[in-house]
Amino acid sequence: MAYILQQLLTESFKRYAERTAICARGKSLTYRELEERSNQLAHFLRQRGVKKGDRVGLFFPKAVESLVAMFGALKAGAVYVPLDPNQPAERISYIISNCGIKGLITSEDRLRLLDPAAVPSVEFALLTHEQTNGSPRPNAFPWSTLAGFPAGHAPELQATTTDLAYILYTSGSTGRPKGVMLSHQNALTFVEWCAETFNVTCEDHLSNHAPLHFDLSVFDVYNGIKAGATVYMVPDDVAVFPASLANWIQQQGITIWYSVPSALVYLVLHGKLSAEKLSKLRIILFAGEVFPQKYLKQLAELLPHVELYNLYGPTETNVCTYYRVDRSILPGMEKLPIGRACTNTEVFAVDDHDRIVGVGEVGELFVRGPSVTPGYWGDPEKTAKMCVRNRFQVHFEEKMYRTGDLVSPDENGDYYFLGRRDNQIKSRGYRIELGEIEAALLSHTGVCEAAVIAVPDEEIGNRIKAFVAPHQPGSLTAVDLQQHCAARVPKYMIPEVIDLCEGLPKTSTGKIDRVRLAQTGPVAAR
Amino acid sequence: MAESIKDVIRQFVMESAQIKGIKEVGDNDSLTESGIVDSLGIFRLVSFLEENVGVHIGDEEITQDNFSTIAEIERFVNAKLAGKGETTTTR
Repeated sequence: MAYILQQLLTESFKRYAERTAICARGKSLTYRELEERSNQLAHFLRQRGVKKGDRVGLFFPKAVESLVAMFGALKAGAVYVPLDPNQPAERISYIISNCGIKGLITSEDRLRLLDPAAVPSVEFALLTHEQTNGSPRPNAFPWSTLAGFPAGHAPELQATTTDLAYILYTSGSTGRPKGVMLSHQNALTFVEWCAETFNVTCEDHLSNHAPLHFDLSVFDVYNGIKAGATVYMVPDDVAVFPASLANWIQQQGITIWYSVPSALVYLVLHGKLSAEKLSKLRIILFAGEVFPQKYLKQLAELLPHVELYNLYGPTETNVCTYYRVDRSILPGMEKLPIGRACTNTEVFAVDDHDRIVGVGEVGELFVRGPSVTPGYWGDPEKTAKMCVRNRFQVHFEEKMYRTGDLVSPDENGDYYFLGRRDNQIKSRGYRIELGEIEAALLSHTGVCEAAVIAVPDEEIGNRIKAFVAPHQPGSLTAVDLQQHCAARVPKYMIPEVIDLCEGLPKTSTGKIDRVRLAQTGPVAAR
Repeated sequence: MAESIKDVIRQFVMESAQIKGIKEVGDNDSLTESGIVDSLGIFRLVSFLEENVGVHIGDEEITQDNFSTIAEIERFVNAKLAGKGETTTTR
C-alpha cells in the first residue's frame, strides 16, 4: 500500500503505462509520460538545490503540466504550494513569502506579475512553456530544460508518510490567508476511504472542476491516478457557461463529478440536463457548502441513475464525514445531513461543558485521526488554538481538530450541520473570512469604518455586502472601493454591494452591530 | 441618437471590468479568461441584454461561442434581432 503520494503514480504507471492519465486544454499525457516528466522535473528541482521539505509554488492556469509539477515536486521530496492563478499579485506575493517558496513553476505572464523584490525567497522559475521573445529573466528556465534530465527513475529520497506533501492557503480571519499543512498520510487517508467507497476503476473518467488550491481537487487527481483512470480538467471558459458545461460532461464521458453545490445549481437551472445526455455519469459528489434542498431534489429527478453524496470537511481534515443520499426519503427531507465519519476518522460533537453530546443535542464538531492536519505553516499560535489536545484520550497524547462548526447527531448516528461559531461564510463554495474583506477595505486611507455581512442567497449560499463610512462623506464611491479590494483579495471576495454611509451602528460593548446592519442597514448620522 | 448594440454591451462589460480592476477591454479579448465574466456575471449579463436590448436568450444559447468576447456578443445579439425582424435600436 502506498505511504507517499507519488507511489500512486508509479504503481499505476507499471500497470497502465499507455492509458491517458490527464487531459486539459486540448493536451493529454499518458501514465508513462506523466511518470517520466515528473521524474525529470524532480531531478531538475534537485539540481536547482531543492532539498527535502523545501516549498515549490505552482502559479499557472490548470493544465497537464500541473500534474507533472505536483508529482515532480513530491518526487524531489519538496512540498508543493498551489497558488490561485487569478489572485492579485499582492496576495500571491504574501503567500510566497509566508512559506518561503524556493522555486516557482509558472507561466511567463504570471511571473511578470510578481515583483522580485516582493518575493526574495524565490531562487528560480520553471516556465510551463518555451520563453517568448523578450529579455529572459535570470534563473527562469523553459519547460524544454526538463528533457536534459533522467526520465527513467526519480531521485533518491528518504520520505515517510508523515512528511508534508502540500500546503493549501485559505482565507484568514485577521486579514491574511493561512497555510494548512497536509502530509502524505493526511491525503492518503482520504484517498483510501474514497477508493473503498466509490470503487474508482481505470475505466472511470473523473472531472476536475475545483482549482488545485482547493482540496476537492485532491479527490480528482489522486483518486484518478490511483485507479489508473483519466482525469479531465474542466476548461475555465466551459465552466462559466452551464449549457457548454453539460455538453462537455457528456463529450468527455465523465463518470464521476465532484464540485461545490453552486456549480451543480447552475447546471440544474440552466444546463439542460437530462439522463440520456449524461448516461455515463454514475456518481456526483458535492461539498463545501449547503446544497439548497429544492435544487438537490431537482438534480435527483433529472438524473435518477446517478448516486449522490454529500461530503463535509474543512481543508484541515479534507473530507471527514459523508452522507449517501437516499432517494427514497429525499422528497420528504427538509435538510441533508453531513453524515457520519469516513473510514479511519473519528468525529464527535462537544458542548460548552466539554461533554460529548447525545442524540438531538448541539455541540462543536471535533475530528481526530490520520486525516488531521499537523497545523498552519509558521503559525504555532493558530495551530495551538485549532489543533487541541484530545482531552477524551486518556492513555496517550494526541491532537484533535476543532472545526468551529455546530452540529447535532440524530438517532442513526448522522450529524446535521447547524451553523458556524464565527465569522466565516461560504459563497459559491469558497471559504471566506468576512474579516479579511473588512481588513482590505480598512486598508484604504479614506475609509474610517467598514463592516461586511453575508446576505443569504438561494443559489450561491451567500452574497457579500459591505457598509463603509469614509473619513470624508462623499469622498469615495463603491467602484473606488471595489477596485481597491480587487488588488488585495480574490475576485469572489469583492463585495457586490457597498453601502457608503456616515456611520455604522454599535452594540453596547462598542463593537459594530452586524446583526443590526443585516436587519436595518446603517444609521444616517454618527 | 440611439446607442449601438456594441456600446450597450461595452457599458455593461466595462462596469464589471472596472470592479475587477481591469482598465481596458478590447472587442476580441476573452471575457472569461480575464475573469470579467464568471458564472455569476454571465446571468447578470444575460438579464441586462434581455432588458436593455429586448431579446429573449434561451439557456441553450448561453455558450462560449456566443459570449466569449464583446464582438461575439454583438454578433449574437444582432443575429437574434435580425431573426426577429426588429431594428437595432435600444430602449
